Amino acid sequence: MIDAISKTARLPELQMQPASAPPTTKANTVGGFDSVMKSVATETVNSIHKSEMTAIAGINGKASVQQVVEQVMAAERTLQTTIAVRDKVIAAYQEISRMAI
Amino acid sequence: MIDSLLAPGKIATAGMTAQSKRLLIISENIANSQSVGATPGANPYARKTISFKSEIDRATGTALVKVADYGIDRSPFRVEKDPGNPAADKNGFVKMPNVNLMVEMADMREANRAYQANLQVFRQARELVSMTIDLMRT
Repeated sequence: MIDAISKTARLPELQMQPASAPPTTKANTVGGFDSVMKSVATETVNSIHKSEMTAIAGINGKASVQQVVEQVMAAERTLQTTIAVRDKVIAAYQEISRMAI
Repeated sequence: MIDSLLAPGKIATAGMTAQSKRLLIISENIANSQSVGATPGANPYARKTISFKSEIDRATGTALVKVADYGIDRSPFRVEKDPGNPAADKNGFVKMPNVNLMVEMADMREANRAYQANLQVFRQARELVSMTIDLMRT
């Protein structure tokens, strides 16, 4: 069970590789939860930052309305995914901690 | 390879940008439909045209739409008798722009519809992504 959850948690790590995220340590293969959350959060912050930059460029008249909307929607999508994944993983851990011993 | 549900957002954005440029050209044509030359016998405003082409986006491998070329309509100018006009030649004729408002209106309607179609694609893709992410909730 724990193995399955850890696998789920590691999935986004393979797909998202933000520029400023710390390289994942190969030795730490079992409990990568904090590093996963870190990389996901970095990805989200990068995405929102990019959308903010585009929005400011749009206000200054340097980006078109379509570009601003596209970037803001991309940021919204990343944020939604991050929140959903976080909620799901935390719910799984809580479920384990509630297990009767 | 980009996510097939995320690519439509980028493609539709390119489509909307292209159609808005088309609308820009149409608005120029309509605004300048009475613009005559500055000197006697000079040519008036010539109708502008725009054409699109498909372009492969290297980052995503998808076909985006780009503006291929801005052109000038070479069809002959209308001639009106108006001796008082500063642009009139020695016989009193003024060359008027070759802009046909009916054609521009039809073109504008087409650009409008194409823009709406791209917008709908964007909206649909966003809704599908959102619904899929919502699967993770509850």
